[in-house]
Amino acid sequence: MTTVDNTQTNHTDNNNEKAAPQDVLRQHAEQQYAEELAELAKVDNRQRPPNWQLSPWAVRTYLMGGTLPNGFAISPKYIGNPRLIEIAVATLATDRALLLYGLPGTAKSWVSEHLSAAITGNSTLLIQGTAGTDEQAIRYGWNYARLLVEGPSQAALVVSPMMQAMQAGKIARIEELTRIPSEVQDTLITILSEKTLPVPELNTEIQANKGFNVIATANNRDKGVNELSSALMRRFNTVILPLPDSMEEEVEIVDRRVASLGRALELPAEKPALEEIRRVVTVFRELRSGVTIDGKTKVKTPSGTLSTAEAISVINNGLAMAGYYGDGTLRSHDLAAGLTGAIIKDPVQDRVVWLEYLQTVVKERDGWKDLYRACNEVL
Amino acid sequence: MSIHVFGIRHHGPGCARSLRVALEELQPDIVLVEGPPDAQEVLPLLIHEEMQPPVALLIYSPEEPKRAVYYPFTHFSPEWQALRYALDRQIPARFMDLPQAMQLAKHPTQPDSTAPLEDDIPGEHQATTTGQQKTSAARINTATAVADAQPPSSPDEQQKDPLALLAEAAGYSDHELWWEQQIEQRRDMTNLFEGILEAMSALRADTPPKDEEEAQREAYMRQTIRAAQKEGFERIAVVCGAWHAPVLISPGPAKADTALLSGLKKIKTAATWIPWTNSRLSYRSGYGAGVTSPGWYEHLWTAPDRISIRWSTRAAHLLREQGLDVSSASVIEAVRLAEALAALRDRAMPGLIDLHEAIETVLCNGNPSPMALIRDKLEIGERLGQVPAEAPTVPLQRDLEVKQRRLRLKPSTEIVTLDLDLRKETDRARGQLLHQLRLLNIPWGELQQVSGKSGTFHEVWKVQWQVEFAVAIIEANIWGNTVETASTAFACHKAEETEELPAISELLDKVILAALPGAIDQILSILQKRAAVSADVHHLMGALPPLARVARYGDVRQTRAEQILPVIDGLFERIVIGLPGACSSLDDDAAQHMLQSIDKCQESVSLLNRDQQRAEWQHTLRQLMEKEGIHGLVRGRCCRLLLEQHMLDEEELQRLTGLALSLAAPAPQAAAWVEGVLRGSGMLMLHQDGLWRALDRWLSNLTPETFEALLPILRRAFSNFQPPERRAMGEKVKNLSTLPTAITGKQGSSAEHGQDILHQERAMSVLPVLAQIMGVTLHGN
Repeated sequence: MTTVDNTQTNHTDNNNEKAAPQDVLRQHAEQQYAEELAELAKVDNRQRPPNWQLSPWAVRTYLMGGTLPNGFAISPKYIGNPRLIEIAVATLATDRALLLYGLPGTAKSWVSEHLSAAITGNSTLLIQGTAGTDEQAIRYGWNYARLLVEGPSQAALVVSPMMQAMQAGKIARIEELTRIPSEVQDTLITILSEKTLPVPELNTEIQANKGFNVIATANNRDKGVNELSSALMRRFNTVILPLPDSMEEEVEIVDRRVASLGRALELPAEKPALEEIRRVVTVFRELRSGVTIDGKTKVKTPSGTLSTAEAISVINNGLAMAGYYGDGTLRSHDLAAGLTGAIIKDPVQDRVVWLEYLQTVVKERDGWKDLYRACNEVL
Repeated sequence: MSIHVFGIRHHGPGCARSLRVALEELQPDIVLVEGPPDAQEVLPLLIHEEMQPPVALLIYSPEEPKRAVYYPFTHFSPEWQALRYALDRQIPARFMDLPQAMQLAKHPTQPDSTAPLEDDIPGEHQATTTGQQKTSAARINTATAVADAQPPSSPDEQQKDPLALLAEAAGYSDHELWWEQQIEQRRDMTNLFEGILEAMSALRADTPPKDEEEAQREAYMRQTIRAAQKEGFERIAVVCGAWHAPVLISPGPAKADTALLSGLKKIKTAATWIPWTNSRLSYRSGYGAGVTSPGWYEHLWTAPDRISIRWSTRAAHLLREQGLDVSSASVIEAVRLAEALAALRDRAMPGLIDLHEAIETVLCNGNPSPMALIRDKLEIGERLGQVPAEAPTVPLQRDLEVKQRRLRLKPSTEIVTLDLDLRKETDRARGQLLHQLRLLNIPWGELQQVSGKSGTFHEVWKVQWQVEFAVAIIEANIWGNTVETASTAFACHKAEETEELPAISELLDKVILAALPGAIDQILSILQKRAAVSADVHHLMGALPPLARVARYGDVRQTRAEQILPVIDGLFERIVIGLPGACSSLDDDAAQHMLQSIDKCQESVSLLNRDQQRAEWQHTLRQLMEKEGIHGLVRGRCCRLLLEQHMLDEEELQRLTGLALSLAAPAPQAAAWVEGVLRGSGMLMLHQDGLWRALDRWLSNLTPETFEALLPILRRAFSNFQPPERRAMGEKVKNLSTLPTAITGKQGSSAEHGQDILHQERAMSVLPVLAQIMGVTLHGN
């Protein structure tokens, strides 16, 4: 109990005295893209739902990218079908909760972070769903020292991100909703339908302010998760985020993310050639779909998801290798270790799959000899 | 005197609604509609109380019914509403397009009856096909159906779609969507037609008619307007595709048009109404013109208000019928989401896309699969129209309708499975009707494979009516005025034309199923004639099984077998005579082919079960089996067939096997023989010890090279057996030497003895070790 208490207190503390943004490892969306958000707010003269920082149109532009009337370019955050983002934004505008559903690494959390950053300017009201998440994480906890001394009081109450969001009319994010035990999931039902959180100990309740909403993410790949009850499911609008449709789309996603991550991590290597990204994405797509891009050869599929997010981390890893141990340019031997690690999730089965793929596809492909040799060395 | 031109889009509910209002306001004394004047006669039927859209006007050439054109209409077609308006008020209504009599005359040949479906709906021709080939043209076709000008003859036009330009100017990438939102969903209709006219005038200001045909069509329309003017009508309402609107406002002097239209050839045409379906109004069926979502348009047309709420509720009901949980609360949320989406996309009200995205997200929990159901049942909303009995039809159609009523077989576009019990008279008649229609190339029903238990007393049919059958019926009418006479005549005609015996006997099979006595006699005589001159034994043998089936089972359908038996006898005689000759000098492939023919023949002989015939057949088989120079496969097969009929005793089999597998025989031939014998069920062969022993000996005497060469054939010979059978065979061979054998014992003893010695010597060497392991002392040496 005390541990829960401590972490929550710490969490609040952290929020209060924010570290200088440039020193943190990864900035929040609203910090990293503060300029874009400000520019959007400047030109955005359309109707805003209560307590929204931007209008739904501006939120869509923020997510999908575009050029503002004053020439300012907004970078796309989500590359894919704009309809999905429109549905998501419209859902939030109708004060329905949004459930982003999909395979791991399909930008669910990413979209959820940026949506809340754009809508409320705050993406930090986050509840991480785990098997150990208890009701206190969603409702409220107690500062037991105070509770013992003063008895139940407002001061002894430790507010959860959900409660904060309700009070402030912001968006609360729940990551990995399906990992939260079913009985804990159920606490969401009243919050979502009646928008209120009773505190019987103080004989009071917290009523959500306008603008409050919930974005949850869940993945449909993992086994042993707690499926949502239909009562809860009914309170969410579900948007399924797919894997990228085309090769080009995926290459662009990887390229963009690698560039921005590389900047954030201050990697010494130069920006990778698009060619290397293309190779990694090709390998991932081929293994994922079980057939080569030209449709001529069948390949086995490894057990991992091989999502775009993993491709991004492979490239990043390669960049670091190139920067610190290589000549600063991303080469195949910098990629090999990361690639092998990303693909071989099961040391027996996946190794066979990867070896087969190397022998039958990579070895034969023109200009891929270096990658073949590099990967063989690592194996 | 005034001319009022209403540019519309075909099947546009918004256009239809505003047209209705505009006509009420104008009170015209004549209505001219773009459509085929050929159909003027059947026009009054439109307000007949039995008329239920969707229906289509069918214009066809009586001499060559394949040359036909459909004009589909439904409730929300503006033309339909205009015509209804005129007919209800008893003011003249006329079609004014270039008559199909002239248009059809220009396209002399249509390769098949589906061609007009794709192309020849003049009401639906696109303004410009942007160079697409026919396959991709469907999309373009309909997308620009509003502009309505493009004749089918020039699909290679390299011109930018004018409507697309307009839509682009309005900031839409999809001009279909643009039209839908600007025109069809509009509720405030004031000045709609002025707007359309203005836009189209701007578009056509510097675009001449696409080609000669369009020029002629527009000339004819102007001529019709002039004629109406001359007759002294005061307020002329002209309803045409928006694309034509600008050129019809002021007809001007007639001279140029007369010149354009002079010298056009004409053919005779007939017109009638036929039932149509909603799915034929949509893109999906490959019918290149129309609307994607007839169900949605109908909803727009019929729903008085609260369009999105009604649509979402219908979707919810549909999903509930399929057992998916959809609560009213979810419907509320779906509507809210659709409205929010529409607002986000700057639309006044949710369109079909917004509604469907909302339904998928809220009602289906993001799962796209139930949406297919909504697309089929709601968006398209399958329905078959109905036309009054007075609609002119060909006698065959009338006859078919009478039969359908009598047999209680209602045409429906749904797929229905019929289980017919042929012992009942009605069911038999139903089956016969379906068979007759199939003969006439009207595949209303499809006969399903019957599973074992229902046997020959049952026929299971899958029936589904298709609107194109209307044309097929008219086409078939040249063969006769009733279904029986037409199918009889058509079958006889086909038999006359066919040279191949098996095809004729198949036809005979069908004719018997369809119970056409007139055709049976004639086809039998044709069959006999062809058989007499046919030199190909394969064909004779291929023709036998259908005949045998008929002769054996014919009586279930009350067909007399006596008619057929003489024919079978004739065929059989020829087969017996021709077979030995046909079997000589065959290569491997030909031998395989012959094997199938022999099997078919055997099947027929056993089916007919007549002693004399069987004896004759067995004699032939024996002849084949013993004749030198016949392919091993065929000889082996004959041997097997005789064995199955217990015509070979074990001794003879032993001898034959030895002969066929003797070392002198070429090894491939011997292997082929083995394949011929073994093919089929394995159990029967399992008990032929002699066969196995001979096989075993032959195999062990092969040189390694020959063995390797023969292995594939041998493997193939055994591959068709079931695993348990194969195992039993393996066991059998393993124990061959230990089996007490009366006949083969002496023959094989010396060889076997020699092998035994060899093995014993080797075996001896392991004995000491074995003894040590087992802890026993070794006796003997």
